[in-house]
Amino acid sequence: MKNKGAQLAISLICVLLGFMISIQYKSVRRNTALSNTQFQRADELQALLNKEKEKNENLYKQLLQYEKDLNEYQKEAAESSGQAKALLKQLYNAQVLAGMTDVEGPGVIVTLSDSKVKNEGETKIDENYFIIHDDDILMVINELADAGAEAISINDERLIATSEIRCAGNTVSVNNNRYGTPFVIKAIGNPETLESGLNIRSGAVEILRQWGIDITVKKVDKMVINRYNGAITLKYATPVVKDGE
Amino acid sequence: MFPFIGLLVGIIFGLLVPYHIPSQYSAYLAIAILAALDSVFGGITASLQKTFNMKIFITGFFANSLLAAVLTFIGKKLDVDIHLSAIVVFGTRLFQNFAIIRRFLLNKYLKSDNI
Repeated sequence: MKNKGAQLAISLICVLLGFMISIQYKSVRRNTALSNTQFQRADELQALLNKEKEKNENLYKQLLQYEKDLNEYQKEAAESSGQAKALLKQLYNAQVLAGMTDVEGPGVIVTLSDSKVKNEGETKIDENYFIIHDDDILMVINELADAGAEAISINDERLIATSEIRCAGNTVSVNNNRYGTPFVIKAIGNPETLESGLNIRSGAVEILRQWGIDITVKKVDKMVINRYNGAITLKYATPVVKDGE
Repeated sequence: MFPFIGLLVGIIFGLLVPYHIPSQYSAYLAIAILAALDSVFGGITASLQKTFNMKIFITGFFANSLLAAVLTFIGKKLDVDIHLSAIVVFGTRLFQNFAIIRRFLLNKYLKSDNI
């Protein structure tokens, strides 16, 4: 091997060869750890999920941009006339109630987590009583709404007019997103009223505590409840327009 | 000597790099490894016989890898193990080249021409 060029070229390919061999060795060792097909499937699903997440993120960014634009137009319009200013005030109120904006104020933070009571031996009863169900959350939410909560979120998922709270396997579906324990329910309103609404005799807290479900109610002076993240699209409902208006 | 050092450097570098290949692509890497092995042995043989040509060596490596990869891809799509053809060809050539190198070295060090 006198030829320097040949030696160099062969050495370079050898570097590449060694690199590929060790990478392949590592990959094969990793991939045979689980069943190959399983891994493939998981990889593919992961890739799909990542793609969807990215798409979702981009759309959300777009939404925020549009809303910023919209806000600016509204401000401009309001500055031009008094009537528009009154309309804008109305609009802001409607937006808060519809969950379209972040809101802040005093209220309570209710945390619910599964029961830690031991359920063994002769007294063993149905496990289902010891975990949190959709109707437990509904009960708490209902109580909060009754006590005058103006904005409510579950695990940072803002409740709006079309929100559902529904059993979804071992999770609870809220606004079509799934959440598991612990559930953190935030409600903005009068903290005293909200708390006493929950603590009412044979009310939500008492019923849940019976089963050892861990429920804490914390009053706070100021907190933020995030806006509803999804897009609101109405397919069927259209407002009724009365004559003469 | 240098090819061995290169090989070691490559292996160490590959072990240090924190990446790995998703399982669906490992068939391609396997074929690429075979192509590289074939090129290395072919190159050594050619330089021993003093017929080494840089252009042929480089284009051979890349074109062979590419063809093997394409065959693997088609094979996966058609569910035919067509990449076996690449494995057979590369494997056969590997042994042939190795035989030539062996003979050459034996001739050189034993100083006899009748092998």
